[in-house]
Amino acid sequence: MTRGYLIRRLLAIFLVLAIVTFAVFAITTVLPGNAAIMILGEYATPDAVAALERQLNLDQPWYMQYFNWVAGILRGDLGTSLRLSLPVSDVVGEAFLNSALLGVTALVAVTVIAIPLGALAALKRGTAVDLAIGLFSYLGTALPEFVTATLLLVFLAAPNSGIFPAGGFVAPWENMSGFAYHVALPAFTLGLILLAHISRQVRSEMAEVLSSDYVRAARLKGLTERRVIRRHALPNSLAPAVAVISLDIGYLLGGIIVVEEIFAWPGLGRLLMYALENRDLPVIQAVTLLLAAVYALSNLVSDIVIAMLDPRVRYA
Amino acid sequence: MTSPLTPAVTETTKAALAIRNYSLSYRTADGIVSALKNIDLTIAKGQTVGLVGESGSGKSSMAWSIMRYLPPNAVETAGAIRLAGEEILDYTPRQMLDIRGRRMAMVFQDPSTSLNPTIRLGEQIAEVLMRHRGLTKVEAMQEAEAALARTGITHPKDMLQRYPHEASGGEKQRVVIATAFACEPELIIFDEPTTALDILTARQILDLFNQLREETNVSALYISHDLGLVSRVVDEVSVLHKGVIVESGKVDDVFRRPKADYTRQLIGAVPNPDRWIGIDAPVNPEPLISLETIGVHYNAPTMLQKIFQPKEAEKAGFWGAKNVSMDVRKGELLGVVGESGSGKSTIAKVLAGLQEFDGKLQFDGKTFASRKDIDRAYRRRVQLVFQHPDASLNPRQTIGTIIGRPLKLYGIVPADKVAARVADLLEMVRLPADYAKRHPHQLSGGEKQRVAIARAFAAEPDLVICDEVTAALDVSVQAAVAELLVKLQKDTGTACVFITHDLNLIRQLAHRIAVMHHGALVDFFDGPDARSDDRDPYTKALLDAVPVHAAAEQSQDMMEGSAR
Repeated sequence: MTRGYLIRRLLAIFLVLAIVTFAVFAITTVLPGNAAIMILGEYATPDAVAALERQLNLDQPWYMQYFNWVAGILRGDLGTSLRLSLPVSDVVGEAFLNSALLGVTALVAVTVIAIPLGALAALKRGTAVDLAIGLFSYLGTALPEFVTATLLLVFLAAPNSGIFPAGGFVAPWENMSGFAYHVALPAFTLGLILLAHISRQVRSEMAEVLSSDYVRAARLKGLTERRVIRRHALPNSLAPAVAVISLDIGYLLGGIIVVEEIFAWPGLGRLLMYALENRDLPVIQAVTLLLAAVYALSNLVSDIVIAMLDPRVRYA
Repeated sequence: MTSPLTPAVTETTKAALAIRNYSLSYRTADGIVSALKNIDLTIAKGQTVGLVGESGSGKSSMAWSIMRYLPPNAVETAGAIRLAGEEILDYTPRQMLDIRGRRMAMVFQDPSTSLNPTIRLGEQIAEVLMRHRGLTKVEAMQEAEAALARTGITHPKDMLQRYPHEASGGEKQRVVIATAFACEPELIIFDEPTTALDILTARQILDLFNQLREETNVSALYISHDLGLVSRVVDEVSVLHKGVIVESGKVDDVFRRPKADYTRQLIGAVPNPDRWIGIDAPVNPEPLISLETIGVHYNAPTMLQKIFQPKEAEKAGFWGAKNVSMDVRKGELLGVVGESGSGKSTIAKVLAGLQEFDGKLQFDGKTFASRKDIDRAYRRRVQLVFQHPDASLNPRQTIGTIIGRPLKLYGIVPADKVAARVADLLEMVRLPADYAKRHPHQLSGGEKQRVAIARAFAAEPDLVICDEVTAALDVSVQAAVAELLVKLQKDTGTACVFITHDLNLIRQLAHRIAVMHHGALVDFFDGPDARSDDRDPYTKALLDAVPVHAAAEQSQDMMEGSAR
């Protein structure tokens, strides 16, 4: 991987984000309703609306508004939340951290479970074990998040008998076991969708690698089955799984909005819902931009990981 | 198990490998299919025995049986396989794990698939030493370096650190061979170890094999479909046909005085450069196509690269063909030979209008200076047949649709006559007319290639380009396909560019031969002049590297004798 390649990729990400800023801005601007009227509610006298519009720069032409907004982002100033009267960067920053905790927990858990599951299914191909793994993971994918979440809530978080809390958030640095309790159900809901993607990908890749000439050669060298699987077969099955994981981050970003709402997890998803309901434009813009940036960067990271797993992949 | 004192065992203890009355079948959806029947094969200590057969003959099954690496649906019905007198059929999988790689090793056909692409070559040799000789990683690496050095690799230490894709085909096969020899096994099975390699590299690997055999006194089973090659390396040979050994004996006896019909047929099918099967050369040579200073630059640097990274742009890409000028005459068969990467397929793609090129292409009075200029009329008149019919025939279409396609596309016959013409074409390539209803997977490899040829001739072209059309086929099928092409040429007067790496075959067919090397045309001569003294050194090297089997050599001796 050359430095030129990295620079080109980062430039491309920058370009994508530039387009996203424009799209986000355009959508929030053409949304029906007037932000000033929304904010003022019953106090929306024509004078008050005009004054607030001036204060929010809503009276300026759209390109000036866009320009000011982008210039603000480049300075690191995302504006002030209209509803919460707090700097957007503070609000979004905290929500992002919380969402990242949930997302990363779900992703790590699903990876740790799905890869061995997929490998096992490939090794036991055509047996009851393979079938059970396949059935279980397809079921997980077939159920939408809100169904899974509801089922989990009914069976594992019912009042009085619940093993897990029905919602809420405890920061891990305050109370690790509290965090684990609270993160379990939302992370499970998120992960279940991805489980099949990743385990099926690993299974098909692993099955192909297991029937390859070089795995046969490794076995005919008298190597132990353990070494054949761990050193020869599994690492070569992972690169495509990483590509799938990076695509799945897109699903995860969508799923997190639903799951946070259901489990009252104070992350980006809930914040976005709140901001949309209240026409809090700076917050909507910042959250959307952030989600796009996370997705673009995760793709770059996955390409780098793939290059580390497979020496034949050389980006130039 | 029998006691070591019985005479039967003392007889076989002398042999490195003794297979007695061995039979193997596979359980399939269609019932039990027999793969090997009553096989008897003995390899004495230090001896090399060849096992020759076409695809489907069971020669690979034999290798898997010896290595005890059979698929779950294999059923061993009878017999014995003894390694230095020990009955390995009785061994548990665990015991076999200790024998594989240590007492028996294997060298595979294609080193680019039998080496793990993500593990450094050094580790792939060293892991065997660590597993079987209990060496530490450091010791094993030192030993691996020594093993590599014995295979003639010039910088073994450097090679240890490389990944497979950073080594050439020959280097990779040396790594595989070094791995096989690493634990000084009693028996090594060579499964077509040179088939995937280039002519010159294959020759070097054969020389290495002979050298290591002398140094180590290892016993070997050499599996191949190539009779000419086998006759160069083995002491004894067994010919396998449909799971049965039809003939075995000393290599000279089998090749010079074959007893079984099948052996005779097999020897007859091997291309013999002195047996001309082509048509007569055109009487008045008229040019059909001429290529003028054709160049093809793969991965050429883009405009942006030239501006921003001028240094890297200079090195970017490589020339698939550079400054190639040649012509094809009406009605002739022009052979294009070269090793892989020599540019022979690049030229085929340029001629077929599939590849962007620099330079000029002249055809029937018209000049094309770029791929974009090439028109529909040209595309009809120049047709291409590919190496792998499996990949070039659409598996979801019937043979009738496949052959009918060019007829409809170019309006060769009216729509209501297409079916009749398809039947004619099938007959031309000697296939039954009712094959039109079949799908490609219902045909054998040779039949599929005939369909591909029929499709090319359906367009009534002036030139057919055959890109390694016989390379994926068995020897006996190869000969039939070559003869078919010649017959079609005779009937239609179509010119043919025949691209191949098989020098023996092309010398039977081609009026003129072009030799390519690293994208350049290094030699261009009339077929009969192949052995003349003013050939390019590269042409000479290629010709010398090709094994000509004993029977052909004999006829060559006779011809030289009668000429004198």
